[in-house]
Amino acid sequence: MNCPACGVEHLPAPAGTPAVSGGPRPCPYGGAPYAGLRAGHDRIFFGRWRSTEANSLDVRKARNQLNKLLNDIAGALEPERLPASRKDLNKAFEAMHTAELGEDGPETLLYMDHALSYAHRVIGDLLHEKGAPPHAPGDFAAWYDAPEVPFREDW
Amino acid sequence: MISLDRYPKEITLRNGARVVLRPLFPEDGGGLWNFLRDLPEIDKSHFHEDVDDLAVVERWAKAVDYATALPILAIRDDRVVGTATLFRNRTGWKQRIGIVRILIAQEFRHLGLGTAMIREIRHLGEQAALNYLVAEVIEEQQAAVRALERMGFEKTMVHRNFVNDRKGHLHNLVVLLHPMSGTEEDLFF
Repeated sequence: MNCPACGVEHLPAPAGTPAVSGGPRPCPYGGAPYAGLRAGHDRIFFGRWRSTEANSLDVRKARNQLNKLLNDIAGALEPERLPASRKDLNKAFEAMHTAELGEDGPETLLYMDHALSYAHRVIGDLLHEKGAPPHAPGDFAAWYDAPEVPFREDW
Repeated sequence: MISLDRYPKEITLRNGARVVLRPLFPEDGGGLWNFLRDLPEIDKSHFHEDVDDLAVVERWAKAVDYATALPILAIRDDRVVGTATLFRNRTGWKQRIGIVRILIAQEFRHLGLGTAMIREIRHLGEQAALNYLVAEVIEEQQAAVRALERMGFEKTMVHRNFVNDRKGHLHNLVVLLHPMSGTEEDLFF
Protein backbone atom coordinates (compact mmCIF):
# COMPACT_ATOMS: atom_id res chain seq x y z
CA MET A 1 0.00 0.00 0.00
CA ASN A 2 1.31 3.42 -0.88
CA CYS A 3 2.01 5.84 1.95
CA PRO A 4 -0.63 8.60 1.90
CA ALA A 5 2.00 11.20 2.87
CA CYS A 6 4.72 10.60 0.28
CA GLY A 7 2.83 8.44 -2.22
CA VAL A 8 5.40 5.66 -2.22
CA GLU A 9 5.28 2.10 -0.93
CA HIS A 10 7.68 1.75 1.98
CA LEU A 11 7.55 -0.34 5.14
CA PRO A 12 4.96 0.83 7.71
CA ALA A 13 7.73 1.08 10.33
CA PRO A 14 11.51 0.82 10.23
CA ALA A 15 12.76 -2.73 9.81
CA GLY A 16 13.32 -4.37 13.20
CA THR A 17 10.66 -2.34 15.03
CA PRO A 18 7.06 -3.46 15.52
CA ALA A 19 4.64 -1.92 13.04
CA VAL A 20 2.22 0.60 14.48
CA SER A 21 -1.31 -0.72 14.22
CA GLY A 22 -4.14 1.74 13.80
CA GLY A 23 -3.70 5.50 13.68
CA PRO A 24 -1.99 7.34 10.87
CA ARG A 25 0.86 5.55 9.13
CA PRO A 26 4.16 7.27 9.99
CA CYS A 27 6.13 8.61 7.04
CA PRO A 28 9.90 9.11 7.37
CA TYR A 29 9.88 11.75 4.64
CA GLY A 30 7.64 14.18 6.51
CA GLY A 31 9.02 17.41 7.93
CA ALA A 32 11.19 18.33 4.96
CA PRO A 33 10.34 19.59 1.47
CA TYR A 34 9.93 17.45 -1.63
CA ALA A 35 8.80 14.37 0.32
CA GLY A 36 7.39 12.82 -2.85
CA LEU A 37 10.60 13.30 -4.81
CA ARG A 38 12.80 11.99 -2.02
CA ALA A 39 10.57 8.97 -1.47
CA GLY A 40 10.27 8.42 -5.22
CA HIS A 41 14.04 8.42 -5.48
CA ASP A 42 14.51 5.97 -2.63
CA ARG A 43 12.00 3.38 -3.78
CA ILE A 44 14.07 3.13 -6.96
CA PHE A 45 17.38 3.36 -5.10
CA PHE A 46 16.39 0.43 -2.88
CA GLY A 47 14.43 -1.36 -5.62
CA ARG A 48 14.80 -5.02 -6.58
CA TRP A 49 16.09 -4.08 -10.04
CA ARG A 50 19.50 -3.42 -8.52
CA SER A 51 19.74 -6.81 -6.85
CA THR A 52 21.34 -9.87 -8.44
CA GLU A 53 17.95 -11.67 -8.40
CA ALA A 54 16.23 -8.97 -10.45
CA ASN A 55 14.16 -10.13 -13.41
CA SER A 56 13.01 -8.22 -16.47
CA LEU A 57 9.75 -7.31 -14.75
CA ASP A 58 11.69 -5.61 -11.93
CA VAL A 59 13.73 -3.65 -14.46
CA ARG A 60 10.62 -2.58 -16.40
CA LYS A 61 8.92 -1.49 -13.17
CA ALA A 62 11.99 0.53 -12.15
CA ARG A 63 12.13 2.12 -15.59
CA ASN A 64 8.54 3.30 -15.25
CA GLN A 65 9.24 4.60 -11.75
CA LEU A 66 12.33 6.44 -13.00
CA ASN A 67 10.42 8.07 -15.83
CA LYS A 68 7.76 9.19 -13.38
CA LEU A 69 10.40 10.52 -10.97
CA LEU A 70 12.11 12.52 -13.72
CA ASN A 71 8.80 14.01 -14.83
CA ASP A 72 7.94 14.91 -11.23
CA ILE A 73 11.35 16.56 -10.82
CA ALA A 74 10.78 18.50 -14.05
CA GLY A 75 7.54 19.82 -12.56
CA ALA A 76 9.25 20.86 -9.31
CA LEU A 77 12.08 22.50 -11.23
CA GLU A 78 9.79 24.49 -13.51
CA PRO A 79 9.40 27.58 -11.26
CA GLU A 80 13.07 27.60 -10.18
CA ARG A 81 15.90 29.46 -11.90
CA LEU A 82 18.46 26.69 -11.70
CA PRO A 83 20.11 26.21 -15.10
CA ALA A 84 22.70 23.72 -13.81
CA SER A 85 19.90 21.57 -12.40
CA ARG A 86 18.02 21.71 -15.70
CA LYS A 87 21.12 20.55 -17.48
CA ASP A 88 21.47 17.64 -15.05
CA LEU A 89 17.82 16.73 -15.52
CA ASN A 90 18.30 16.73 -19.29
CA LYS A 91 21.23 14.38 -18.81
CA ALA A 92 18.99 12.14 -16.71
CA PHE A 93 16.39 12.04 -19.50
CA GLU A 94 19.15 11.32 -22.04
CA ALA A 95 20.44 8.46 -19.90
CA MET A 96 16.90 7.06 -19.65
CA HIS A 97 16.47 7.34 -23.38
CA THR A 98 19.66 5.34 -23.90
CA ALA A 99 18.56 2.82 -21.28
CA GLU A 100 15.26 2.33 -23.07
CA LEU A 101 17.06 1.45 -26.29
CA GLY A 102 18.71 -1.48 -24.53
CA GLU A 103 17.37 -4.93 -23.69
CA ASP A 104 17.52 -5.02 -19.88
CA GLY A 105 21.18 -5.97 -20.02
CA PRO A 106 24.00 -4.54 -17.92
CA GLU A 107 24.22 -1.41 -20.10
CA THR A 108 20.56 -0.65 -19.50
CA LEU A 109 21.07 -0.96 -15.77
CA LEU A 110 24.14 1.27 -15.96
CA TYR A 111 22.26 4.04 -17.77
CA MET A 112 19.34 3.76 -15.36
CA ASP A 113 21.84 4.11 -12.55
CA HIS A 114 23.25 7.26 -14.21
CA ALA A 115 19.74 8.68 -14.57
CA LEU A 116 19.07 8.03 -10.89
CA SER A 117 22.33 9.75 -9.90
CA TYR A 118 21.45 12.85 -11.92
CA ALA A 119 17.99 12.80 -10.35
CA HIS A 120 19.52 12.66 -6.89
CA ARG A 121 21.72 15.65 -7.68
CA VAL A 122 18.76 17.72 -8.87
CA ILE A 123 16.71 16.80 -5.80
CA GLY A 124 19.72 17.94 -3.76
CA ASP A 125 19.75 21.26 -5.64
CA LEU A 126 16.05 21.79 -4.95
CA LEU A 127 16.51 20.99 -1.26
CA HIS A 128 19.52 23.30 -1.05
CA GLU A 129 17.49 26.18 -2.48
CA LYS A 130 14.95 25.63 0.30
CA GLY A 131 17.73 25.50 2.91
CA ALA A 132 16.90 21.86 3.72
CA PRO A 133 19.53 19.21 4.49
CA PRO A 134 20.79 17.07 1.62
CA HIS A 135 18.95 13.84 0.94
CA ALA A 136 20.88 10.74 2.02
CA PRO A 137 19.04 7.57 0.99
CA GLY A 138 21.06 5.57 3.52
CA ASP A 139 19.13 7.32 6.28
CA PHE A 140 15.93 5.72 4.99
CA ALA A 141 17.21 2.21 4.31
CA ALA A 142 15.34 0.76 7.30
CA TRP A 143 12.03 1.74 5.66
CA TYR A 144 12.72 -0.48 2.69
CA ASP A 145 13.31 -4.15 2.21
CA ALA A 146 16.96 -3.40 1.45
CA PRO A 147 19.45 -6.00 2.67
CA GLU A 148 22.48 -3.76 2.12
CA VAL A 149 22.97 -0.03 2.47
CA PRO A 150 24.99 1.12 -0.52
CA PHE A 151 28.17 3.11 -0.11
CA ARG A 152 27.57 6.56 1.29
CA GLU A 153 29.85 9.46 1.98
CA ASP A 154 29.33 13.17 2.19
CA TRP A 155 31.64 16.17 2.41
CA MET B 1 27.66 41.27 -12.25
CA ILE B 2 26.59 38.56 -9.84
CA SER B 3 23.48 39.27 -7.81
CA LEU B 4 23.96 38.61 -4.11
CA ASP B 5 20.25 38.93 -3.30
CA ARG B 6 20.08 35.31 -2.15
CA TYR B 7 22.25 36.13 0.90
CA PRO B 8 22.13 35.70 3.80
CA LYS B 9 20.97 32.17 3.08
CA GLU B 10 20.32 29.66 5.85
CA ILE B 11 20.92 25.97 5.21
CA THR B 12 20.53 22.89 7.38
CA LEU B 13 23.27 20.29 7.60
CA ARG B 14 22.81 16.54 7.93
CA ASN B 15 23.07 16.73 11.72
CA GLY B 16 20.38 19.43 11.88
CA ALA B 17 22.83 22.28 12.54
CA ARG B 18 21.87 25.52 10.84
CA VAL B 19 24.51 27.50 9.01
CA VAL B 20 24.23 30.92 7.38
CA LEU B 21 25.90 31.54 4.04
CA ARG B 22 26.86 35.08 3.09
CA PRO B 23 29.65 36.94 1.29
CA LEU B 24 32.80 37.98 3.15
CA PHE B 25 32.67 41.56 4.42
CA PRO B 26 35.74 43.77 5.06
CA GLU B 27 35.24 43.45 8.83
CA ASP B 28 35.40 39.61 8.72
CA GLY B 29 39.20 39.47 8.90
CA GLY B 30 39.36 38.26 12.51
CA GLY B 31 36.73 35.55 12.06
CA LEU B 32 38.32 34.35 8.84
CA TRP B 33 41.75 34.23 10.50
CA ASN B 34 40.37 32.12 13.38
CA PHE B 35 38.93 29.70 10.83
CA LEU B 36 42.05 29.50 8.67
CA ARG B 37 44.55 29.01 11.45
CA ASP B 38 42.62 25.97 12.76
CA LEU B 39 42.66 24.21 9.40
CA PRO B 40 44.96 21.22 8.94
CA GLU B 41 48.33 22.15 7.42
CA ILE B 42 47.52 20.42 4.13
CA ASP B 43 44.53 22.72 3.59
CA LYS B 44 46.73 25.79 3.85
CA SER B 45 49.15 24.64 1.16
CA HIS B 46 47.74 26.67 -1.72
CA PHE B 47 47.89 30.07 -0.02
CA HIS B 48 50.54 32.45 -1.33
CA GLU B 49 50.85 34.19 2.01
CA ASP B 50 51.02 33.17 5.65
CA VAL B 51 47.40 32.72 6.71
CA ASP B 52 48.48 32.26 10.32
CA ASP B 53 49.28 35.96 10.32
CA LEU B 54 46.23 38.00 11.40
CA ALA B 55 47.46 41.11 9.58
CA VAL B 56 47.60 39.21 6.27
CA VAL B 57 44.03 37.91 6.58
CA GLU B 58 42.67 41.27 7.74
CA ARG B 59 44.29 42.90 4.73
CA TRP B 60 42.64 40.34 2.41
CA ALA B 61 39.24 40.96 3.94
CA LYS B 62 39.56 44.74 3.68
CA ALA B 63 40.67 44.51 0.05
CA VAL B 64 37.95 42.08 -1.04
CA ASP B 65 36.78 42.71 -4.61
CA TYR B 66 33.81 40.51 -5.50
CA ALA B 67 34.45 40.99 -9.23
CA THR B 68 37.66 38.98 -9.03
CA ALA B 69 37.30 36.92 -5.83
CA LEU B 70 33.90 36.28 -4.31
CA PRO B 71 34.30 34.50 -0.97
CA ILE B 72 31.16 33.00 0.56
CA LEU B 73 31.40 32.27 4.26
CA ALA B 74 29.51 29.55 6.14
CA ILE B 75 28.78 30.86 9.63
CA ARG B 76 27.55 28.95 12.64
CA ASP B 77 26.96 30.92 15.87
CA ASP B 78 29.14 33.84 14.70
CA ARG B 79 31.97 31.44 13.85
CA VAL B 80 33.26 30.88 10.32
CA VAL B 81 33.09 27.12 9.63
CA GLY B 82 33.65 27.09 5.87
CA THR B 83 34.53 29.21 2.88
CA ALA B 84 33.93 28.85 -0.83
CA THR B 85 35.60 31.33 -3.15
CA LEU B 86 34.96 31.91 -6.82
CA PHE B 87 37.97 33.52 -8.51
CA ARG B 88 37.48 35.19 -11.89
CA ASN B 89 39.42 37.29 -14.37
CA ARG B 90 37.77 40.50 -15.53
CA THR B 91 39.33 40.28 -18.98
CA GLY B 92 41.45 38.02 -21.13
CA TRP B 93 41.16 34.51 -22.43
CA LYS B 94 40.14 33.00 -19.10
CA GLN B 95 37.36 35.45 -18.26
CA ARG B 96 34.74 32.71 -18.75
CA ILE B 97 36.53 30.33 -16.40
CA GLY B 98 36.00 30.38 -12.65
CA ILE B 99 38.45 28.92 -10.17
CA VAL B 100 36.84 27.27 -7.16
CA ARG B 101 38.40 26.94 -3.74
CA ILE B 102 36.48 25.42 -0.84
CA LEU B 103 37.62 24.97 2.74
CA ILE B 104 35.64 23.32 5.52
CA ALA B 105 36.41 23.27 9.26
CA GLN B 106 37.35 19.77 10.34
CA GLU B 107 34.42 19.25 12.70
CA PHE B 108 31.97 20.35 10.00
CA ARG B 109 33.10 17.79 7.44
CA HIS B 110 30.91 14.89 6.30
CA LEU B 111 27.77 16.87 7.14
CA GLY B 112 27.02 18.04 3.62
CA LEU B 113 28.51 21.52 4.07
CA GLY B 114 31.20 20.98 1.42
CA THR B 115 28.57 19.81 -1.06
CA ALA B 116 26.36 22.79 -0.19
CA MET B 117 29.29 25.12 -0.85
CA ILE B 118 29.88 23.48 -4.23
CA ARG B 119 26.19 24.07 -5.01
CA GLU B 120 26.57 27.76 -4.09
CA ILE B 121 29.61 28.22 -6.29
CA ARG B 122 27.88 26.43 -9.15
CA HIS B 123 24.94 28.80 -8.75
CA LEU B 124 27.21 31.86 -8.73
CA GLY B 125 29.13 30.54 -11.74
CA GLU B 126 25.88 30.24 -13.68
CA GLN B 127 24.97 33.82 -12.76
CA ALA B 128 28.38 35.02 -13.91
CA ALA B 129 27.82 33.28 -17.27
CA LEU B 130 30.99 31.26 -16.86
CA ASN B 131 31.74 28.43 -19.27
CA TYR B 132 33.72 26.30 -16.84
CA LEU B 133 34.53 25.97 -13.19
CA VAL B 134 37.95 24.60 -12.31
CA ALA B 135 38.86 23.03 -8.99
CA GLU B 136 42.37 22.00 -7.99
CA VAL B 137 42.59 19.62 -5.07
CA ILE B 138 45.49 17.79 -3.46
CA GLU B 139 44.92 14.09 -4.11
CA GLU B 140 44.86 13.20 -0.42
CA GLN B 141 41.65 15.24 -0.05
CA GLN B 142 39.58 12.37 -1.39
CA ALA B 143 36.28 13.38 0.21
CA ALA B 144 36.51 16.71 -1.59
CA VAL B 145 37.39 15.04 -4.90
CA ARG B 146 34.44 12.65 -4.61
CA ALA B 147 32.05 15.45 -3.64
CA LEU B 148 33.16 17.54 -6.63
CA GLU B 149 32.72 14.55 -8.94
CA ARG B 150 29.25 13.85 -7.57
CA MET B 151 28.35 17.46 -8.32
CA GLY B 152 29.33 17.18 -11.97
CA PHE B 153 33.03 18.03 -11.91
CA GLU B 154 35.10 15.75 -14.10
CA LYS B 155 38.63 14.75 -13.23
CA THR B 156 40.69 15.88 -16.22
CA MET B 157 44.23 15.51 -14.98
CA VAL B 158 46.39 14.35 -12.10
CA HIS B 159 49.79 16.03 -11.90
CA ARG B 160 52.21 13.75 -10.05
CA ASN B 161 54.37 15.31 -7.30
CA PHE B 162 53.31 18.69 -8.62
CA VAL B 163 52.69 20.92 -5.62
CA ASN B 164 54.39 21.28 -2.28
CA ASP B 165 52.88 21.85 1.13
CA ARG B 166 54.26 24.40 3.57
CA LYS B 167 56.85 21.90 4.78
CA GLY B 168 58.11 21.28 1.26
CA HIS B 169 56.60 17.80 0.78
CA LEU B 170 55.34 17.09 -2.71
CA HIS B 171 51.76 16.06 -3.47
CA ASN B 172 49.74 15.02 -6.49
CA LEU B 173 47.34 17.69 -7.74
CA VAL B 174 43.94 16.69 -9.13
CA VAL B 175 42.37 19.08 -11.63
CA LEU B 176 38.60 18.90 -12.06
CA LEU B 177 36.42 20.77 -14.56
CA HIS B 178 32.72 21.52 -14.43
CA PRO B 179 31.10 22.55 -17.73
CA MET B 180 28.39 25.11 -17.05
CA SER B 181 24.89 24.92 -18.49
CA GLY B 182 25.62 27.00 -21.58
CA THR B 183 28.71 25.02 -22.53
CA GLU B 184 28.93 22.45 -25.26
CA GLU B 185 30.90 19.89 -23.37
CA ASP B 186 33.27 17.34 -24.73
CA LEU B 187 35.95 17.10 -22.13
CA PHE B 188 37.40 13.80 -23.22
CA PHE B 189 38.71 14.12 -26.74
